[in-house]
Amino acid sequence: MSGNVREIQQSEYEQAIPAKGAAVLDFFSTECPPCEALAPKFEALAEQFAGQIQFLKIFRQGSRELAQRLGVSGSPTLIFYRDGAEVGPRLTGEIKRSELKQRLSELVGG
Amino acid sequence: MAERYDLIVIGAGPAGLAAAIYSARARVRTLVLDEGVPGGQVKTTHKVSNYPGFPEDVKGAELARRFAEQAERFGATIARSVEITRHDLRSDVKELELDEERVVQAPAVIVATGAKPRELGLEGERGFRGRGISYCATCDGAYFEGKSIHVIGGGNSAVEESLFLTQFAAQVTIVHQFDQFQCEAGTADEALANPKIKVLWSHEPRAFLGGDALERLAVEDLKTRTRQELASDGVFIFVGMVPQTELLRGLVPLSPQGYVETDESMATPVPGLYVAGDIRVKRFRQITTAVADGTIASLAVQAYLRGRKA
Ligand SMILES: Cc1cc2nc3c(=O)[nH]c(=O)nc-3n(C[C@H](O)[C@H](O)[C@H](O)COP(=O)(O)OP(=O)(O)OC[C@H]3O[C@@H](n4cnc5c(N)ncnc54)[C@H](O)[C@@H]3O)c2cc1C
Repeated sequence: MSGNVREIQQSEYEQAIPAKGAAVLDFFSTECPPCEALAPKFEALAEQFAGQIQFLKIFRQGSRELAQRLGVSGSPTLIFYRDGAEVGPRLTGEIKRSELKQRLSELVGG
Repeated sequence: MAERYDLIVIGAGPAGLAAAIYSARARVRTLVLDEGVPGGQVKTTHKVSNYPGFPEDVKGAELARRFAEQAERFGATIARSVEITRHDLRSDVKELELDEERVVQAPAVIVATGAKPRELGLEGERGFRGRGISYCATCDGAYFEGKSIHVIGGGNSAVEESLFLTQFAAQVTIVHQFDQFQCEAGTADEALANPKIKVLWSHEPRAFLGGDALERLAVEDLKTRTRQELASDGVFIFVGMVPQTELLRGLVPLSPQGYVETDESMATPVPGLYVAGDIRVKRFRQITTAVADGTIASLAVQAYLRGRKA
């Protein structure tokens, strides 16, 4: 099922965010119910937006330095990118599927 | 094609899952749906000490898992991470659309959507969410290993979660508006004896400040009316809850605080529509009182369904 979401390590972060096009990165943790709740929505939308947006996720417990560098201190945190640069506000905590879908549509819409 | 059930329970917290256990055991075809994972507020509570049957305390996540497992064992279906995108709770047969793609129907609905953490509504609060501000200690505590953090509040949740946060943080300063805690005496004593916990009595937060991430917390001393800024690596907010009643707006009477009025059997004025748990008008909101509501709502629904058949 997870074919459309790629898990990355912090060492791969720079290469993983595409220089052209759109991407979304999910910082997740264990013992985090809102992260568990987001996972199936993220997967479903990854399927819907396949080929248009790169869906990435990263395990926060293995990515302390990156989390610190990006100023992430809550899980889940979703960061959106266009052409390699972060765009728009992050989503964090309890995230509705409709809210995420809206953001992703804007991301591909221009 | 719509899927038909006898009962749809909205919200898989203690109230909704207790209702599901009773209903499924009575062979009522029951669907429980939740926008997240089952357990409600309990799944993010680090430990529960007052739920009967667990003399050694139980982790909230573990209790939540057990509630859900018990409901599923008797045949209730739990739909996780679904969003209600359309709803008709007024008609004789109630209908919900889920994620814009699935339609479910039932003659009876129990709304047990509980409550969510209250925001303070202060400057910087939304912007620093996930960048230093959190409402969930179990989710985010580990981000603050060795840090100096603040907790806003002084009730049971605030003090309990402060104790939990001392596992990670070097120092936890509780900012509380009164000059004593509003929590169980045992919890208060434990917090006051903990060397990592400091308390700023009679203080209220006024603003959250920083650049990309939270750096400072502005507080006001309520006695002297002086304001100061404190360096802070993170702030956890536990200042009460807001009932989740959007689905019921315009349909059933709400109290000025937004809670739902029911009769003793958890019924609303709308036939077949019941309400249980923290969203009700009631004096005490606990896991035990939520499961009691869920039990009563299920038994009332069973009688209602029998009445419809007769
Ligand atoms: C930090 C903390 C610690 C606590 N500690 C204790 C304790 O030690 N002992 C104790 O007895 N009580 C404790 N409580 C209180 C207790 O957790 C609540 O009283 C109880 O969980 C209420 O149960 P409920 O089923 O009514 O609602 P909730 O637990 O709030 O569950 C409601 C569920 O409905 C879902 N939902 C909401 N809206 C929708 C929607 N539109 N569509 C689908 N699903 C929806 C939510 O995702 C949630 O899962 C604590 C609360 C907190 C916050």
